[in-house]
Amino acid sequence: MREVAVLGLGMHPWGKFPEKPLNNICRVAVEAALSDADLQWRDVQAVAAASSRFSGGKGWGLNGNDVVEDMGSTGVPVYNLSAGCAAGGNAFNIGCMLVASGCHDVVMVVGGEKMPKGFIQTSGLEDESDPEYLRQRCIGLPGPGFWALLTRRRMAEYGTTEEDLARIAVKAHEVGTHNENARFRQLFSIEDVLKSNMVSYPLRLYEICPVSDGAAAVILCSAEIARKKTTSPVTVAASAVATARFDDGIPRALACPIGSGSAHHSEAAIAVGRALETAAVGPKDIDLVELQDNTVYYELAFPEEWGLCEPGESESLMRAGETLPTGRLPINPSGGFLCFGEATTAQGLFQICEVGWQLRGAAAQRQVPNAKLGLAQSLGLGGNAAAAVLKR
Amino acid sequence: MSEAERVHAAQGLFAETAQGPRLLGSKCRTCSTPYFPRSESCHNPDCSQSDLEDAAFGPHGKLWSCAIQNYPPPPPVVYDEPFAPYAVGLVDMPEGLRVLGRILTDDPQAVEVGGEVELVIEPLATSGESAQQLVSWQFKPR
Repeated sequence: MREVAVLGLGMHPWGKFPEKPLNNICRVAVEAALSDADLQWRDVQAVAAASSRFSGGKGWGLNGNDVVEDMGSTGVPVYNLSAGCAAGGNAFNIGCMLVASGCHDVVMVVGGEKMPKGFIQTSGLEDESDPEYLRQRCIGLPGPGFWALLTRRRMAEYGTTEEDLARIAVKAHEVGTHNENARFRQLFSIEDVLKSNMVSYPLRLYEICPVSDGAAAVILCSAEIARKKTTSPVTVAASAVATARFDDGIPRALACPIGSGSAHHSEAAIAVGRALETAAVGPKDIDLVELQDNTVYYELAFPEEWGLCEPGESESLMRAGETLPTGRLPINPSGGFLCFGEATTAQGLFQICEVGWQLRGAAAQRQVPNAKLGLAQSLGLGGNAAAAVLKR
Repeated sequence: MSEAERVHAAQGLFAETAQGPRLLGSKCRTCSTPYFPRSESCHNPDCSQSDLEDAAFGPHGKLWSCAIQNYPPPPPVVYDEPFAPYAVGLVDMPEGLRVLGRILTDDPQAVEVGGEVELVIEPLATSGESAQQLVSWQFKPR
């Protein structure tokens, strides 16, 4: 397999843009990535795109086709990848393989999304064959309630406090305030977060990511092309995808077997584990991580589940400021989902952009000093997950 | 007011049996994996032979975790008007099943991780003049 370089990074800022068509949002990201790579649209030999359930794609998830038509139909192959909120990460994986395999020298990966209002209703079906419908009809447990269950369990196991949870949101905004692409850049105090509305005890409004509109694009190329454009390109040390294991103890519908060990999102742990193994690095070698923080809970649980720190250590690291860009284990220097909101299928690529900028040393006031190795992780409905390790 | 008709929130998921309230699921005869709702096949990748039989689960359980639904969720969720926060839980049952459910209590704050609960089949809402009451499985702290 050939080495793959991350040559171009582009993003449309995250926000709510009711007047702006999705094509325009995607075009901003695509043109920024092409310009960053010093390439033209004509140079793109294939497109891997994240399929959306919420916007564009002609109702079939053909979001890559929308982008190609908008940019100019050159006849390029388009791969539309569906993996819930991990779709951007999955598309990145396919894009990497298209270059690594030698099939194509320049590949664009793109994800763009305009989200409906309110918390995500995951299916939209009204049918007893649909577990999500049953969960709402028979129990009444929307997504935030599920995150609250995981959080409450952690509180009981490790003594996590409501103030700890609030402090993670405070930290997210401390770094996100420096990110011009982030939607929520205001600073909060712990008291502000604790005063925000309780959504699902123990989780409050500012501790849960809202939905946003946004788009991100990445240009991948062979090492040969990258060397013509830059002296020290960011490269892909590893890209992996995974699905959940049967016995991880996390019910995806109404119930699951209790399982053997501690309940955790096995899909994320497997994807990250594979990525680290392929990159031939240990979890402690990672200089920064962009992880999927739909809620503050994941910033505590994921680093432990992946071996970035010890079980039960996350709270003390966070309290000591070690998860800030200047700390020992920088987490989400972009500001994360808490500051961006979730433009579901674009999230996996916004992470790649942030990790790429960090490795280039181009992250200004949120820069992780001397970052050489960065991890990006996304998680999606259906037990999907993706992870990538970038290096410089 | 005449007694409201009890309508199950979904068909075939739970029942009042001679032994009491039960969740209706399946169990694999080969590997003992429990399923709720019923499953046509065993999903355990280490199971050598998918062989499902009907199984009824309950009434005992222990809260693996619990939380509170603090905002009125969108349809099709059913709750008493005016909305009052209610408790939800993830319950470990001795049959090896971890199951989601609403917690039947007037004091959601008092529900604790590790607490013992018992399966009940009760209305999701009792207010209003409706001739029908939607009932579902719930867990009552013991």
